[in-house]
Amino acid sequence: MIEELFDIERYAYRDSTIHRLDARVKIIVVFATIIAMVSIPYSPVVLTVGAIFFIFFALLWALTRLSPMVYLKRAMLIIPLWGIVILFQIFLKNPYYTVYTPVVVLPFGITIYAESIQFAWILFVKFVITISFIILLSSTTKVQDMLDGGRRLGLPTEFALALGMMIRYLFVFGYMYRKIVQTLESKAFDPFDRNLPYRYRMRQIGYTIGTMFVRSYEQGERVYTSMLCRGYGRHSHLFLKKKGFKPSEWTFLVISLGFIIIIPVMAWLKQVSWF
Amino acid sequence: MHVPDAFMPIWQGAIYWIIALVFVYLSLRWAKNELNEEKLPLVAVLAAGIFALQSFNLPVSMGTSGHLVGGALVAIILGSPFAAVFILTLVLTVQGIMFGDGGITTMGANILNMGVVGGFVGFYSFKGLKAATGSMPVSAFIAAWLACVIPALCAAVELWLAGTFPLEAGLVAMGLYHAVIGVVEGVITVAAIYLIVSVRPDMVDKGVLPAKAGAVA
Repeated sequence: MIEELFDIERYAYRDSTIHRLDARVKIIVVFATIIAMVSIPYSPVVLTVGAIFFIFFALLWALTRLSPMVYLKRAMLIIPLWGIVILFQIFLKNPYYTVYTPVVVLPFGITIYAESIQFAWILFVKFVITISFIILLSSTTKVQDMLDGGRRLGLPTEFALALGMMIRYLFVFGYMYRKIVQTLESKAFDPFDRNLPYRYRMRQIGYTIGTMFVRSYEQGERVYTSMLCRGYGRHSHLFLKKKGFKPSEWTFLVISLGFIIIIPVMAWLKQVSWF
Repeated sequence: MHVPDAFMPIWQGAIYWIIALVFVYLSLRWAKNELNEEKLPLVAVLAAGIFALQSFNLPVSMGTSGHLVGGALVAIILGSPFAAVFILTLVLTVQGIMFGDGGITTMGANILNMGVVGGFVGFYSFKGLKAATGSMPVSAFIAAWLACVIPALCAAVELWLAGTFPLEAGLVAMGLYHAVIGVVEGVITVAAIYLIVSVRPDMVDKGVLPAKAGAVA
C-alpha cells in the first residue's frame, strides 16, 4: 500500500478544476455521496441510484484531467479482494429476501438463486461507488490540504496534530520501506524463496520489522525533541489561516449536495428500478 | 479484515462509530496522561512507522501472503491497549480515506475490531500469559495470534449482523484464514519484540522485560 502513496500524491499535485476546489468541498461531497449510497437499503433502487452516481463520478473524473487508467489501476487494487466475497453472494441466502428462485442447481447441493445474484449486484454497485469517490478525493487532494480541510471542518486539534505528524512521516517511512526492500533484494533475500528455511525467512522479516519499529520510535523521539526546541508544549496552538469558500465553490457544493440528497430520496420514494 | 462501506447498513456503522469514538477518546486521554500531551508527536510518528510495517509482504503458505496488523506489537511494547487503539485509529483513518482500504461508514467497526479488540486482546492475553508462563516468546506469540484471529471473528459476526455474510461460513472462512495468518503475525511479533528488547530496552514497557532487566530498567 505504501508504494501507492507516492503515485497518489503525484496525481494530487496536478492541476484541474477539481484539484483547485477547496478540500472541504471535496470532503463534504465525497462523504455525503458515500453516506447517501450506504443509506439506501439493500434493494434494486441501489442499482438505479448507483448508475446515476457513477455518471456523476465520471463527469467529475473527466474534469480532473486524469486518465481513466489511473482510476482503473487504483480501483483494481481494491476491488478484487472484496469482489470475491461479493461473488460468493450468488450461492448464499440472506435476510433481505423472503423468496428465493433457483436459477442454476450445481452438484453438492450448491444452488444459484436469482435473488442472490441481484443482491451480489447491489453490493457490488454500492462497493464500486463508495470506492470510486474515495479514489476521486485522494487523487485530487494533497494530503496536507485534506488535513487542513478536516481541521477547518472541526477535526479535534489533538487528533489533527497526531494525524498531521503521521502523514508527514508516512513519506519518510515510505522511502525507508523502499530502501529496506531494495537492500533485502540486493542481498538476494526473498521472503517467498522456498529454498531458504521458513524459520530463517520469518526471523529475518521479524528483525527487519523490529528494526523499522525502533527507527520509527527514534525518529519520533528526534521529532519530539526538535519540536520542544522550537517551543512546542502543552499549550501550543497550531495556526490555521481562516479561509472562506469562493462563490463557485459554494455553487458546486450546494448543487452537488442537492443532487446527492434528492436522487436517492426520489428513487426510494418512487421505488425506481431501471435494472 | 478491513470491512468496506457497502457491507454494513448505515445504522449499524453508526453504532460501531459511537463505540469506537468512546475508545478513541479514552486513548487520547491515555496519550495525555500516560505519555503526557507533549509526547503525542512521538506516537504519531510511530503510527507512520506502523503503517509502513504493514506493507511488508509476509509469506504464509502455498504462495499466499499476508500483512502484519501490529495491534498486539504496539500494545505490548508501549504497555497499554490504548496505544494500539490510538495508533491503529490513525492508521485506519489514512487507509480508509486515502487508499479506500476499509470504509468511511465502517471505519468505526474497523477501529473497534483491529484497534480496540486487537489491542485489548493482545495486551491482556500477553499480560496474563506472561504472569502464568513467565515466557515472553510464548506469551507474545499467543497474544499476537489471538489479536489477529479474534478481531477477524468479530468482523465475521458484524457481517452476519449486517446480513451480508452467513455466520457459520464467515466464522469458518475468516477464522481459518486468520488462524494461519495469525501464526505469521505471532512469529514476527516475537522476533520484533526480541530485537527491540535487545537494542532499546528503555523503549519497552517493563512488563515485557525479563525480571532482572525489568528491575534495572
